[in-house]
Amino acid sequence: MSGLSQAHSVVAPSTATRRIAGAIVIVYALVTLIPLLWIIATSFKTPPDSIAYPPKIVFTPSLEGYVNLFTTRTRQSPEMLAQLPPPTTWYDKLVRSRNMVIAGPSNVIPRFVNSIIIAFGSTFLAVFLGTLAAYGFSRFRVPLKDDLLFFILSTRMMPPIAVAIPIYLMYREIGLTDTKLGMILLYTAVNVSLAVWLLKGFIDEIPREYEEAAMIDGYTRLQAFRKAVLPQAATGIAATAIFCLIFAWNEYAFAVLLTSGNAQTMPPFIPFIIGEGGQDWPAVAAATTLFVIPILVFTILLRKHLLRGITFGAVRK
Amino acid sequence: MSDQTAAPRASLLSRFLRLRRGPWENLATILIGLGVVMLMQPFSATAYAYSFITILAGTAMFAIVSHFPE
Amino acid sequence: MTETTTSSALPEKLAGATPEVIARPIRGLSDKAIAWFFIGPTILLLLAINIFPLIWTIWLSFTNYRANRPNAEVKMVGLDWYHRILGDGDVWLAMQTTAHFVVWTIIIETVLGFGLAWLIDKKFRGHGLWTTVILIPMMLSPAVVGNFWTFLYQPQSGLFNYVVGFLTGIDPSSFQMLGSVRLSPWAIVIVDAWMWTPYVMLICLAGLRSIPDYIYEAAEVDRASPWRQFWSITLPMALPFIMLAVLFRGIENFKMFDMVNLLTGGGPGSTTEVVSITLKRQAFESWRTGYSSALAIILFVTVFGLANIYVKALNRVKQR
Repeated sequence: MSGLSQAHSVVAPSTATRRIAGAIVIVYALVTLIPLLWIIATSFKTPPDSIAYPPKIVFTPSLEGYVNLFTTRTRQSPEMLAQLPPPTTWYDKLVRSRNMVIAGPSNVIPRFVNSIIIAFGSTFLAVFLGTLAAYGFSRFRVPLKDDLLFFILSTRMMPPIAVAIPIYLMYREIGLTDTKLGMILLYTAVNVSLAVWLLKGFIDEIPREYEEAAMIDGYTRLQAFRKAVLPQAATGIAATAIFCLIFAWNEYAFAVLLTSGNAQTMPPFIPFIIGEGGQDWPAVAAATTLFVIPILVFTILLRKHLLRGITFGAVRK
Repeated sequence: MSDQTAAPRASLLSRFLRLRRGPWENLATILIGLGVVMLMQPFSATAYAYSFITILAGTAMFAIVSHFPE
Repeated sequence: MTETTTSSALPEKLAGATPEVIARPIRGLSDKAIAWFFIGPTILLLLAINIFPLIWTIWLSFTNYRANRPNAEVKMVGLDWYHRILGDGDVWLAMQTTAHFVVWTIIIETVLGFGLAWLIDKKFRGHGLWTTVILIPMMLSPAVVGNFWTFLYQPQSGLFNYVVGFLTGIDPSSFQMLGSVRLSPWAIVIVDAWMWTPYVMLICLAGLRSIPDYIYEAAEVDRASPWRQFWSITLPMALPFIMLAVLFRGIENFKMFDMVNLLTGGGPGSTTEVVSITLKRQAFESWRTGYSSALAIILFVTVFGLANIYVKALNRVKQR
């Protein structure tokens, strides 16, 4: 249905209706963006500016939040500071102006690396397993198929805290507590259910004739799967991977209960970025901004497939 | 597929109950819904106490009746 | 169902109809064996990470085990924990808190989400772009969202208090969204509505777009008023989609943990202690593993039951 034919339809909304509808939606969109924009703005404020009253909309941008995010600092007396050699870099200078010196790097980079390793590791595994299973469910007669598919879906809906109790005990027994491998396995298990359902939808849409033709040409089932199905499913696999990546990137409940340092990811780490006397809001905002940017990119990449993703592949437009 | 395998059994029991999926599934849905309301309502402690068994019964019933023929 | 039957039979038929050399690679493995090769690994993983722990939880819920005393003697207590929980006023209260949260978020998100979808469906210029913009909040991490909303809710410097003060004339430092018994249940509702209205909107939009134009054209021929068209065409035909969104938001918010844990941690006191927070406190702070396992099973069964209904709703939508 093209836009042109709808414009001529008797039921097409009038121009005025459209303009009013558009205006309301745009106002909603802008209002709903304010919290996020405010956080991004806060990441460029100084600590005093970030908690000023009335809230500062116009301010002098500063990178103090980002410097504080990546470093740990100690407060020094002015006499001590005077004895030190002059600051060599812009961030040294910035920290000195607050009567502090940089003591070392903060934990944010290891946490970010953990987030990346765990998100990509679990996504890879979930999509790999999910593609195989989805193909199996799509093309073969599997005993108790509907029950298995429901079981797979229901594992994703389980309350994370309830799942965390036995997982905590199990991981303690086998030494996976606070390890990246443990988190990767756990996120794979949660993500594989989404991957199976989504990919089954995508693979169902690929005509069987491709593989059947390939098999008549002498390919085995596996070769046909690799040569005829996988290339056709590439877009679907990519979209599924991004959904899995977003879930693993954003996950908090398991991370906060099952990791404490070695395998801690960003979501449980961000709320505990503290400065002197409570949360260091510009640094928290800086971490949030850096954490959210990949998500914004993914959202734009995924916009055509979002509906499928949130309905487990049931609604396809 | 499932129609064929289950058809003889249904005809055998249909004198007592028409074992069709639709109405039974609706009954199970109502039972689960009722249980959830009982679990979360602020009025009766007795209803709260029996909520779990209601949900459990509804869920078990759903699992069974979803294998009945359409 | 019939689809599956023909497909699994087809390779066999082809194999039978083709010379032996070509048939062998197709027949190399039986279809059943190949199917398990594809599905097996996923099932194994889920058995190890979901089903085995679930069975363990069921067993624990009948014992007095405490995770912080792994060497203590484990005694079977039968259904004691279930009796306790289902007679425990605090858990009941947590359920009611959860109900307040679930009911209000669903009402607000459905009304706003459906309204937005209805407006977007008017297809004004640039609606695709603005739809994507609206969707941003639901893609963020609930934990990070909870965290930065605590900043917006700061009584003195927070943007939320300032805007409310600016619009209503109330002194922004005179109320605390997160610290007050009266307001904190609404604070979490507001954040959830901000975050998840787009979700409901997106599903409702799919519902509205699934209504074929000819129905409206027929109604137009019958001179049905726009009001009547809305109530007798638009709403009933979008209803399965609305139900789908409501069910999913209901399940998600029934087990809501991340956002509430970071916004209020269940406080002040236990005014926002939704049931997941109770479960976390019992399991990971009081270490009453047996008790919390029983509570976990109650939540499991509830979600499992609701998931059955959800899948039924999914299938209904899929037929469109």
